[in-house]
Amino acid sequence: MTGPILIVGEVQNGHLSGPTLEAISVARSLGGSPSSLVGFVAGHDSRSTALEFGRFGVSHVWVARDPTLDSAPIAALALYIAAAATKAGAETILVGGTTLGRDLMGRLAIRWNAAVATGVTEVRRDGAALQVRRPIFGGRATETRRLDGAHVALALRPHAFPAPLDAPVDPVIEDLPSVPLPAAWLAPRRTGTETSAEGAGPSLGDASIVVSGGRGVRTAENFQLVEELAAALGAAVGASRAVTDAGWRPSSYQVGQTGRSVSPQLYLAVGISGAIQHLVGMLSSRVIVAINSDASAPIFRVADYGIVGDLFQIVPALTAEVRRVRAL
Amino acid sequence: MEIVVCIKPVPEAETRLRVAPGGATLDAEGVKFVLAGYDESALEQALLLKEALAGSKVHAISFGPAPRTEEVLRAAVALGADLATWVESPSGSAVDPIQVARALAGAIAAIPHDLVLCGKQAGDDEAGLVPSALGELLALPDFGSVVDLRWDPVTARFKFLRSTDAGGERWEAATPCVIGLQQAWNDPRTAKLPNILKSRKAAIAKHPAGPDLPGARSEPQGFELPAPRTGARLIEYKSPQEAAQTLVRILREEAKVFP
Ligand SMILES: Cc1cc2nc3c(=O)[nH]c(=O)nc-3n(C[C@H](O)[C@H](O)[C@H](O)COP(=O)(O)OP(=O)(O)OC[C@H]3O[C@@H](n4cnc5c(N)ncnc54)[C@H](O)[C@@H]3O)c2cc1C
Ligand SMILES: Nc1ncnc2c1ncn2[C@@H]1O[C@H](COP(=O)(O)O)[C@@H](O)[C@H]1O
Repeated sequence: MTGPILIVGEVQNGHLSGPTLEAISVARSLGGSPSSLVGFVAGHDSRSTALEFGRFGVSHVWVARDPTLDSAPIAALALYIAAAATKAGAETILVGGTTLGRDLMGRLAIRWNAAVATGVTEVRRDGAALQVRRPIFGGRATETRRLDGAHVALALRPHAFPAPLDAPVDPVIEDLPSVPLPAAWLAPRRTGTETSAEGAGPSLGDASIVVSGGRGVRTAENFQLVEELAAALGAAVGASRAVTDAGWRPSSYQVGQTGRSVSPQLYLAVGISGAIQHLVGMLSSRVIVAINSDASAPIFRVADYGIVGDLFQIVPALTAEVRRVRAL
Repeated sequence: MEIVVCIKPVPEAETRLRVAPGGATLDAEGVKFVLAGYDESALEQALLLKEALAGSKVHAISFGPAPRTEEVLRAAVALGADLATWVESPSGSAVDPIQVARALAGAIAAIPHDLVLCGKQAGDDEAGLVPSALGELLALPDFGSVVDLRWDPVTARFKFLRSTDAGGERWEAATPCVIGLQQAWNDPRTAKLPNILKSRKAAIAKHPAGPDLPGARSEPQGFELPAPRTGARLIEYKSPQEAAQTLVRILREEAKVFP
């Protein structure tokens, strides 16, 4: 597996997304020479993002301009990605750690006959194969897996890899010929998009800091205390199921077994007891901090740092302190 | 509507994880297996659709070894599934999620399916690979991370929200399609005792996984449990302000999680 590596570019606010940049740095650590790094981006207006690939050392970019891709199911995108991989003679496809990355992998496993893995936090070469590590069981275990064969496709876990340093090259940008898409795949229609239901800050999946509140906040109005702390930290806001069940915040906030899984650099649990169904959604966070009035709450067993105290006193003080040091 | 729900037997959430001899997988000895969390919600969603659409059937399908696979299928029947199919896992060999998808696709292709409902990812391997692989194998569109799934009888289409990193996408799709559900709040029902008793005698169709199943393309080599967390370092303080200052200093200087 030393052949070209195809990096699937996801665009956010007109730029390559953070997870895509992380995929580029993984490709660089595996690939060596710039000539082995190939980008892919979809969209009729993708020249500037294609150029952005060049800034990070990707020397060749394939562009899928098919306008139907804007609102087609991911299956259609997977066809173009497989076509680009074939054009590039790629042996490896890397996608950032987003919903898109995961949803592509099953398709690529079949269509491109690839060994695949999702949620990958480490990658290394193992002779002719690749060896990956990935958290499983909600971060309660880590597996090492060997991926064999001529084709491997990986979806990474967000925040597991550094952003790449600049290594500018002048990329060759080429349009992919259009690929016939099965009519059945184009019948479903995207009728709209909604920006993050989680409010104005970063979304749960992306954020490097998450502040979550639990039943300890007591009312929907009090939940603002949690949101103010999150705003001061530039964090996303999460919640335990007690909060979403009570209707204090919508279910899109829920972290845990039946909500979202997050793995930020910092997870702050406020007034959350630490039930296993909550823990499995956040245990793979790098640093966990708990604020809870009950010193015997199970959350303190998994947290790195804890404050035993009344959240109604601690949280406002913390928000003020964060604002002070960040001079907001 | 013919609704197929894919159910994976996974260790119950409270399971104490142990490493199997050999070091590459979970030690399943003595572990209780249950419906994966999202699958429970997917089954609930299927039952809600069935209740809303007269003449519908819910068909639970599961791939895996005895006895756990049969057990979760009986649990699904007790909850209200009309039919159950057990896709028998070839014994002994390790399987990867793509092989699971191939085996399931073989069985699903042989039964009526207007909607194939999966969980968006299973709580054990967290792969999230089966729904999109099923879409490719069955030549159907698939949608992952779906919440708020409804059937619109007027347009004869599903309407739903795909939860994405940037927020959400509203979609409409006709049957047949594959949906990976990320439903957090539909509060799965619990089975009533008479139904549990009845489910013990329910017929479970068996489907062989197929001798021509291609080999696994990925293989587990290690299963590691993190060093037990030693418990939080508790911050001592005399005032909330002092607690806040200490924590912020630690997070910046020691843990280096924000500038
Ligand atoms: C199948 C299933 C799936 C589930 N999925 C999820 C899931 O995805 N996510 C999830 O979160 N839960 C889930 N749960 C629910 C889970 O079991 C817990 O019930 C839930 O996480 C509890 O939420 P909590 O910690 O906010 O509330 P509680 O357990 O009630 O804890 C509240 C905490 O607040 C503290 N507190 C109270 N007042 C104060 C104060 N003034 N200052 C500081 N601290 C205070 C208390 O000491 C307590 O520890 C699931 C349960 C089941 C059965
Ligand atoms: N062994 C299995 N039997 C039936 N369904 C499965 C199996 N494995 C996975 N699935 C389905 O696919 C979803 C995603 O699983 P995974 O790809 O393993 O994360 C699960 O929530 C199930 O709906």
